Amino acid sequence: MTKTTIPVHLDINGDHHELRLEPRVTLLDALRDRLGLTGTKKGCDHGQCGACTVHVDGERVLACLTLAAQVEGRTVTTIEGLAREGEMHPVQAAFLEQDAFQCGYCTPGQIMSAVACIREGHAGSNEEIREYMAGNLCRCGAYPHIVAAVRQAALEVQS
Amino acid sequence: MRDFSYLRANSLDAAREAAALPGAMLLAGGTTLIDLAKCGVAEPETLVDITHLKGLDSIEMSERGATIGALARMGHVADHAGIRSRFPAVSEALWQAASAQIRNMATIGGNLMQRTRCPYFRDPANFPACNKRQPGSGCSAIGGVTRGHAVLGTSDACIAMYPGDLAVALVAFDAILHLGERQIPVDDFFLLPGTTPDREHAIAPGEMITAIEIPGSASARRSTYLKIRDRQSYEFAAASAAVGIEFEPDHRTIRDLRVALGGVATKPWRARAVEDALKGKVLEPDAVSAASLLAVEGAVDQGANHYKIELAPRVVARAILKLGETA
Amino acid sequence: MTVHNIRHGDASDGAFAEAVGGRLSRVDGRAKITGAAKYAVEQQLEGLAYAVLVESTIASGKVRAIDTTAAQAAPGVLQVLTPDTIISLKTAADWFGTPPPDKPYCPLARDITFSGQHVAAVVAETFEQAVAAAALVKVSYDETPSIVDLSDAKAGDGIPIDAMTKEWGDAQGAFASAPVRICAAYNTPREYQAPMEPHGLIARWDGDRLTVWEPSQWLDGMARTYAEWFGVPFENVRLVSPYIGGGFGSKALALSHGAVAACAAKMLGRPVRLVMTRPQTFTGYGGRAATRQTVTIGADAQGKIQSIVHRGVNETSIDGMWVEPLGSVTSIMYATPNFSSRQNVVRVNSVVPGAMRAPGENPSAFGIESAIDELAYEVGIDPLEIRLRNYAEQDPHAKKAWSTRQLREAFAAGAERFGWSRRSPEPRSMRDGNQLIGWGVAAGTYPVRRAYGEAIVRILADGSVEVESSSIDMGQGTYTILAQTAAETVGVRADDVVVKLGDSRFPRAGVTGGSRLAGVMTGAVYKAATSALDQLIGLAISDPRSPFHALQANTLVAANGRMSSPRGDGPDLSIAELLKSVGRDHIEATGDTMPANSTPEDRYKNYTTIAMALPHTEGDYSRHSWCAHFIEVRVDEDFGTVRVSRVVSALDSGRLYNPKLAESQWKGGIIMGIGQALLEEGIVDRRHGRIVNNNLADYLVPTNADIPDIEVISVGIPDLHSSVLGGKGVGELAIVGVAPAIANAVFHATGKRIRDLPITLEKLI
Repeated sequence: MTKTTIPVHLDINGDHHELRLEPRVTLLDALRDRLGLTGTKKGCDHGQCGACTVHVDGERVLACLTLAAQVEGRTVTTIEGLAREGEMHPVQAAFLEQDAFQCGYCTPGQIMSAVACIREGHAGSNEEIREYMAGNLCRCGAYPHIVAAVRQAALEVQS
Repeated sequence: MRDFSYLRANSLDAAREAAALPGAMLLAGGTTLIDLAKCGVAEPETLVDITHLKGLDSIEMSERGATIGALARMGHVADHAGIRSRFPAVSEALWQAASAQIRNMATIGGNLMQRTRCPYFRDPANFPACNKRQPGSGCSAIGGVTRGHAVLGTSDACIAMYPGDLAVALVAFDAILHLGERQIPVDDFFLLPGTTPDREHAIAPGEMITAIEIPGSASARRSTYLKIRDRQSYEFAAASAAVGIEFEPDHRTIRDLRVALGGVATKPWRARAVEDALKGKVLEPDAVSAASLLAVEGAVDQGANHYKIELAPRVVARAILKLGETA
Repeated sequence: MTVHNIRHGDASDGAFAEAVGGRLSRVDGRAKITGAAKYAVEQQLEGLAYAVLVESTIASGKVRAIDTTAAQAAPGVLQVLTPDTIISLKTAADWFGTPPPDKPYCPLARDITFSGQHVAAVVAETFEQAVAAAALVKVSYDETPSIVDLSDAKAGDGIPIDAMTKEWGDAQGAFASAPVRICAAYNTPREYQAPMEPHGLIARWDGDRLTVWEPSQWLDGMARTYAEWFGVPFENVRLVSPYIGGGFGSKALALSHGAVAACAAKMLGRPVRLVMTRPQTFTGYGGRAATRQTVTIGADAQGKIQSIVHRGVNETSIDGMWVEPLGSVTSIMYATPNFSSRQNVVRVNSVVPGAMRAPGENPSAFGIESAIDELAYEVGIDPLEIRLRNYAEQDPHAKKAWSTRQLREAFAAGAERFGWSRRSPEPRSMRDGNQLIGWGVAAGTYPVRRAYGEAIVRILADGSVEVESSSIDMGQGTYTILAQTAAETVGVRADDVVVKLGDSRFPRAGVTGGSRLAGVMTGAVYKAATSALDQLIGLAISDPRSPFHALQANTLVAANGRMSSPRGDGPDLSIAELLKSVGRDHIEATGDTMPANSTPEDRYKNYTTIAMALPHTEGDYSRHSWCAHFIEVRVDEDFGTVRVSRVVSALDSGRLYNPKLAESQWKGGIIMGIGQALLEEGIVDRRHGRIVNNNLADYLVPTNADIPDIEVISVGIPDLHSSVLGGKGVGELAIVGVAPAIANAVFHATGKRIRDLPITLEKLI
């Protein structure tokens, strides 16, 4: 019943990876199980929590509902690729300063979502941030601090 | 998830050809299909990836209205300046759906093919009976947990709710789906379950949604989408309404009214009875409330979802009155 | 020989942030925000195989047969485990350490007592292959009728739990003669911890030694369980859990899925990873038990309570026992001369319920804090005033003085900040357009649980400090506060402290639960660090090679990594230079919070069971944390939707070791309480005895958009009866009282009293 594996070339955080994968392998499982890029988290595997948020061609998407084969030819950025030469992204720095996480498991997804939220222009008010960050669940309840961090980072990024 | 072959379509014709093969399914954003494949509901032999097709993601505004390519993504359409100004209900239905990430993935065409969230439909391992999955096997939902099930358009075979938002707005404004050469009103595209709940859409194997055309109108320009749910965001509707209104020059008398309901029916539900009752009338709260009750005419509840019958008319009334305030 | 004064109270930013009580940012933060933090199942191991569970689809009955033919033949499948093929284990002791029955334990069930029970497992070369093959396992059953839940006619009244009975005075008699009487029933549904990281593990055997990478709130307790299952010495099992993606009570015990993975690894001779699917996390272990309470209060015309009669029931499973202590808050919150509380548990076909943030206190507070609000309206006085009129000046049950109880201060500070005095008393009297506005108040409390922990503190050759403990950090901030404790005690910068946690090879710790860890571990690290510094100073004074030797000082001072004399005369050199001068490459000391003269057996029992935990009423005092929540809701009068628009909570957790992190935990508790009040409920299909909303789209937890700004105010003072450094509990306190505060606010907004959680729109429409 196995269909054959197929070659999949992935461009992740500026690195090229050549894999042979079954077509059913999701981007999330390719990242975590094949490439050791475990910063992208699996919380529900069904698009219900946002923990697996990554950027594809600069836009935030869910890696759990994306087949790895689908993103061949596109640019993927994960949490591991966000800091530049060891310099934390302003969103990362703001998360640390505002204590916008506790257990840390939803955090990479929150941060990837926040970077995109600011880029999309959806970080103009606390209310807008709450709505546009609603796709990233946090069971520790860091939400007010996430809002503060996104607000702070948005001001830094825009200035 | 069972194994499948992956084909990347590089032309529309190739996509349609591949999709006509037995067991083949078109893969766009994947937010429904990959999810259901993981649930064991969708079992494709072949997935035909159409996300790399060029030229199907445009949003074109004209005198006549908007034409949206099937591969335009929900988030882009929601934020599109022309859609926001000329079709506010469409934009609002989109940004209140799912999450920002899912809206970046999901395409407009794929969104119209979204399947029900009925928990019995989604869990074949525990609930083998489902007429939608397996015609004739029965309905596990009837007599079960039905708080989220439909009260309108149901049948003895299926009470599964249509969960989407966009199509509710599209139905209200008489949008036309382009299936290649063939065109079909969006209201006719969605089928009532009747005795064949496995047939949800008027689309044949090998057909593919290529575009959605939304006629421009004064009522579309003065429109809104009101979505009520337990959670403030990232949840399907308990009840929702897409409403558009056009006033006579007196700013009080209703010339045209469009009302469609979400979260309460087995398909996006146009409420023409409400429209007819209020057209030509002066907008006035008591009249609106009374007319809004017509939205749920013929509703049948399962007990736990009775609240939808109470809620839906109130949502309709609030949306109409809200639009009236801005006149 | 030296006294290291610990500075009390909060500290603002700056250098003081690094001391205990300072607002130091998380020391493990950078790893978490860069994706570098490897959680348990993210270890990349050679030869890893993937296991997937198959669950029962009936709630009661027997497995008739399991057909594994198709699964065995599926690509990549390495083994299919069933009750017949899995290796036999021994039954392990429970968490009290009660000697287990001498019978085998099989983590895959033949006798089904709940839907979702593990009946088989498939192991394959890849995750995808294991998932696909698991779907091919065909299980047939002989089904028997199940007891669905508390309301099932077959459920009966349940089993009286005499240990829960608390009675004084003549509660029934006093109620009968009270001029004002209220009586109401309050229900809470099944609720789920739903940590963002699903439960799972990697198990690997090397000979008869087992390594388990598993998110754990209790490494030593879980290691003991694995050791007992497999009949190997405790020392042969290593639990590794450096980061935990949320637990909320659910990750404290080794569970059957862990046994399955460890069996598979042993049988296969390869490391095996098993992670529950999100739906499996709703049945693979227990959430909070559904509860029912009746609260009866008799009072005088001024609202002074004369009697409380309380009866509670909670669900447990067919073959397991979970008692959710429903009288825990009822019996201590208010002064009453007459009191009676009793509790039953009822067996139903569900997985055995478990600990979820403030088990007992949470549902207990929903009952009593709703009822006191009802009494306030009945008597016609302000809900805050009635709480003050019935303020308990001592523990009404234990009849002991409170160690500290800043609840009056919490009421005052919260009310002031919230603007409670501007509240219009009548229900439905505050509105904004279609929104009815309600203000509610409720109190919360959680006992100070005290247990044991030990730590090693090493002062290394480069002057840095290393702390090791098998305790854990699941987001509470253990890494950070232990770094602060060691830094302040030894006299170095927090940056120069490395804290290593989450490995059972390190010095031991009891369970991280009941909000006890911070108090326990800061105490252990303080003692170890004090002892290490004493050694260093002793060497500096007495070793002839030390530059301080000639000084003939009694003691020395360490600060910012440097040693000097208290008077500032004599040498001033770095700890690294001092160690070099006396020819040492490190100093090491162990500290613990154990009673003196503890035997190795005592230690083992203390760290691997909860049998030895100290009662919160031990000695002369009753020790609790306290809080008061002031909450504003907006209820849409047409739609019945409730949104929390404002929260001010004042909390007494004693001294805060790091206010920045404590505030985060408090807010997290409040947010989980908002979910409990408005959204969360496990819904059972009564025909199948199965939870149908077993996922994060249908079991609703709050999103960012559901949460307003939350203001928290610390009103605590150091409580040295509660812990070495004066802290009480943080993690569980803040959820207690949130649900009743919201229910009370909803009543104020709408005039409707909702006594069944969650408060969903159909209850208000």
